Amino acid sequence: MVDTRQFAIEPNKDLLGVDGTLQQNSVLNNRYRISGVVGVGGMGSVYQARDLQFPDVERYVAVKEMLNLSQNRDMREQMKGNFEREANILASLSHPAIPAIYDYFTIKDRAYLVMEYINGKNLEVILSQLDETLPIDMVLGWAIELCDVLDYLHNRPTPIIFRDMKPSNIMIDVNGRLRLIDFGIARVFQQNKKMTMIGTEGYSAPEQYKGSPMPQSDIYALGATLHQVFTNEDPRLHAPFTFADRPIREYNPNVPPMLEAVIMKALAYDPLQRYATAREMKEALETVRRAMQGSVTAAISLGEVPSEAVEEWGSEQTSSKSQLRWKFKVEDEIRSGAAHHEGTLFVGARDHNLWAIYADSGELRWKFATEAPIVTNPDIYREGPTVLIGSDDHHLYSVDIPTGRLHWKLQTKGPVRSSPSVIHGHVFFGSDDGYLYAARMSTGRAAWRYAVEAPIRSQPVVLEDMVIVAAESGDVVALDLSGQFKWRFSAKRTVISTPAIHDGIAYFGSYDYHLYAVDIKNGWSIWRFRAGKPIISSPVVVPEEEIVVFGCADGYIYAVDLFNNRERWKFQTDNQVVASPAYENGNIYIGSVDQNIYCIDAQKGRELWRFQTEGPVTAKPFILDGVMYIGSLDHNLYAIKA
Amino acid sequence: MDWFRRFLGLQPTDNEEATESAVQPAKPIATDAPTQPNPIGKKENLAPSMETLPKRPRDLPPSELDTDEADMIAADGRTRKLPPLETVQPEVGHQLVYGQLSDVGQMRDNNQDAVLSFVSSASLSQAAPNFGLFVVADGMGGHENGERASAIATRVIAKHVIDEIFIPSLSGEIGSSADRPTITEVLREAVQQANHVVSEQVPDGGTTVTTAAIIGHAAYLAHVGDSRAYLITDEFIEQITRDHSLVQRLIELDQLTPEDAVEHPQRNVLYRALGQNDHLDVDPVFRQLPPGAFLLICSDGLWNLVKREEIQQIVLEERDTPQQACQRLVEMANDRGGTDNITVIIVRVPN
Repeated sequence: MVDTRQFAIEPNKDLLGVDGTLQQNSVLNNRYRISGVVGVGGMGSVYQARDLQFPDVERYVAVKEMLNLSQNRDMREQMKGNFEREANILASLSHPAIPAIYDYFTIKDRAYLVMEYINGKNLEVILSQLDETLPIDMVLGWAIELCDVLDYLHNRPTPIIFRDMKPSNIMIDVNGRLRLIDFGIARVFQQNKKMTMIGTEGYSAPEQYKGSPMPQSDIYALGATLHQVFTNEDPRLHAPFTFADRPIREYNPNVPPMLEAVIMKALAYDPLQRYATAREMKEALETVRRAMQGSVTAAISLGEVPSEAVEEWGSEQTSSKSQLRWKFKVEDEIRSGAAHHEGTLFVGARDHNLWAIYADSGELRWKFATEAPIVTNPDIYREGPTVLIGSDDHHLYSVDIPTGRLHWKLQTKGPVRSSPSVIHGHVFFGSDDGYLYAARMSTGRAAWRYAVEAPIRSQPVVLEDMVIVAAESGDVVALDLSGQFKWRFSAKRTVISTPAIHDGIAYFGSYDYHLYAVDIKNGWSIWRFRAGKPIISSPVVVPEEEIVVFGCADGYIYAVDLFNNRERWKFQTDNQVVASPAYENGNIYIGSVDQNIYCIDAQKGRELWRFQTEGPVTAKPFILDGVMYIGSLDHNLYAIKA
Repeated sequence: MDWFRRFLGLQPTDNEEATESAVQPAKPIATDAPTQPNPIGKKENLAPSMETLPKRPRDLPPSELDTDEADMIAADGRTRKLPPLETVQPEVGHQLVYGQLSDVGQMRDNNQDAVLSFVSSASLSQAAPNFGLFVVADGMGGHENGERASAIATRVIAKHVIDEIFIPSLSGEIGSSADRPTITEVLREAVQQANHVVSEQVPDGGTTVTTAAIIGHAAYLAHVGDSRAYLITDEFIEQITRDHSLVQRLIELDQLTPEDAVEHPQRNVLYRALGQNDHLDVDPVFRQLPPGAFLLICSDGLWNLVKREEIQQIVLEERDTPQQACQRLVEMANDRGGTDNITVIIVRVPN
């Protein structure tokens, strides 16, 4: 934003149009007849002009005009000197990607540079007019050429740092040839006006804001440019230095991981972590090009290499970190989680049984048969002690822990696929018959039931003064403990996910792809986070990291910030994640349909280890005294050192 | 592409209040008059605001009730003193209480900051939590563009949030379905709408915005730029917004120390502000406020000159009188040079 009104002298007055640009057909220096305006910038304009020195041919040149903004006369003279010096350097450059300089001169406070006219468009314009992404091999060719020209500039007797690599300074002519334009000569005339702050440009390296730029700053800016070309995300519209937050392959899966890696290396915050020279980066890009041009199989394997090296379970490193204590085979799939009471684990299976297994040895204590598959988690009534479990046979069972015999059972009119919650001397559970039940633990009689009017498959969450339950209809309903309605929140689709409650907020996922945060006082929605597929997984809150973690059918495990509902990290598995995570000591434990159980660092979302089972894992891990107990669809219950 | 610069240059203006407080920094600032909504070309001549409207005797004829001027302007045409004010004085501890102040500072001639507070305190048999809406905007741009941008943004945001949260909350139809935007989304939409209006009406201006809706003890914020919000309790003070400034990014990347940032030549460069681009990324912040906690929102005119420990200390010392805390904070910033406009809101949530 330069205020041109401050100029004391208005030069070339007769040549200027109302907007301060040269008028068409004006002749500069008795040689260049202006035939059009190519661009107008804050520092001056660029014109297309015909060179009258060659009257018989139509030779066009580009004339770049720069304003000498200094009000001080000595300063103006000094800047004029700087301009001539810079122009001389430019005129001495010779590289196919650098436009040739023919002439320069000054007229009063305007300086002119006459150079090769490029019939084409700059890359920024090309990107803005693009509906699809540019062919990768074409961009790769440009990238190699840009490295080559940077290498040339950085190795002049007086090294030149370009300092302004960005799409708008890259011209592509009608023949597809690339030129780097705007050699920062305009900067000669920029003065650091006190109190005026120049906006950030989005392509500049961090160290450029600390002091003088270095060759690696050009490498960063080239990385930023290539990042934009492949993602079509303008870095100026994002926070500075956030390229890593926009993984190239997420925007453009056709970019080979190798090429992405080259670009991300160029974009390292620390200049020492980038390529040391443009030549080095050029060589890396050439390696990528050779790989892409290589055999079909090579290209395919490139596309499949995961961005991070994956350690297979069973290798030395992982086996030392996770350790199988025992496994216990039941007669069918284990889809649900375990509960624990005084050394005994309880888990239901599709074989109709509730299994009681000694936690330390993995030996059977007893099993209790129901009439249909069990897909719910058990809960413990410590005063009994009994263990509560719902079955597809429409019943909720209370089973005496010492004997493994029936304590009581309560019949509903549908399969019980909602895990029970025992608290306040009552058990709360839902049924596919559409009711939420509250039963007295002592008698097994229903104290009340509430019609949610849709099958309930989540576990009711019971708090001091309310119970919250989610239903297939997408409704999440809060009742007081006497069964009186408090509020209802309606998601767009089914909610199977059991709400996680933290600091007065309920977090739950829905088939409508969203994770919701709802105020438990009134059911108002605070925020929602959209994932890529339905969310069946019940979230867990990690207070230390201020995140909520959950799995999604899109194959990712997400960590979302509680306070600004932005993704903190996500972790990719090889199949749907319908299981619920558990949190313990800084680690997230979660299973995936890809048959693995993962241990992930809650802070960074990095894999610490994985354990492979023989079937999909849909159960929530149960962790006790440093041991994780988890079932798999491979019929086993595993005890693994956490 | 338009990269936006923040102008710290002096703008000529004849703002009287500004001049007065600029030459008399020690004088306690009596009102937050500069923060009144823009009267748009009309001279305000003691027109009573909602809050200060005096109660009239019941038996006054209705015709008299409608003639404000007759009530206040004596026969000689001079204004006479208003009767003692009867304002709502919510009891500290039970209600949302707040103070707000905006001051031009010592160096500027105009106040480009804008500030707005809107509070509803209810005692109803049905659940109706306290509602408060607070906005601080720090405008930038030459001429009058800065103050116009911040004023427009503040008005647009207040209207949208009141329309979409406060009014529906009275009819009990808020946020209980995925078909409606979440409260966080309403705040974001409000700021994005303000962005469009500012771009349209003040093409050469820009503004920061930090806005907070407080519902019960829940604070919902939306934030763009470097106006900050702090959460303050007896135990701690925590900055809950993150500046969208170049130096903040450099600090986060360990490329700059917070100490160096204070002196950095580009410390005023923001990478995000209203009025710069059609697309605006708005940062939401949600917090449950502990009982009796304070939320403080301020422009950089305060936080550049007053340390956070000092902010906490003054807020706690004046815990029952947030307005007094605002005045002391503004005085402290002015004593240290008042290099920029200073705006602060302090809200205390119920115990």
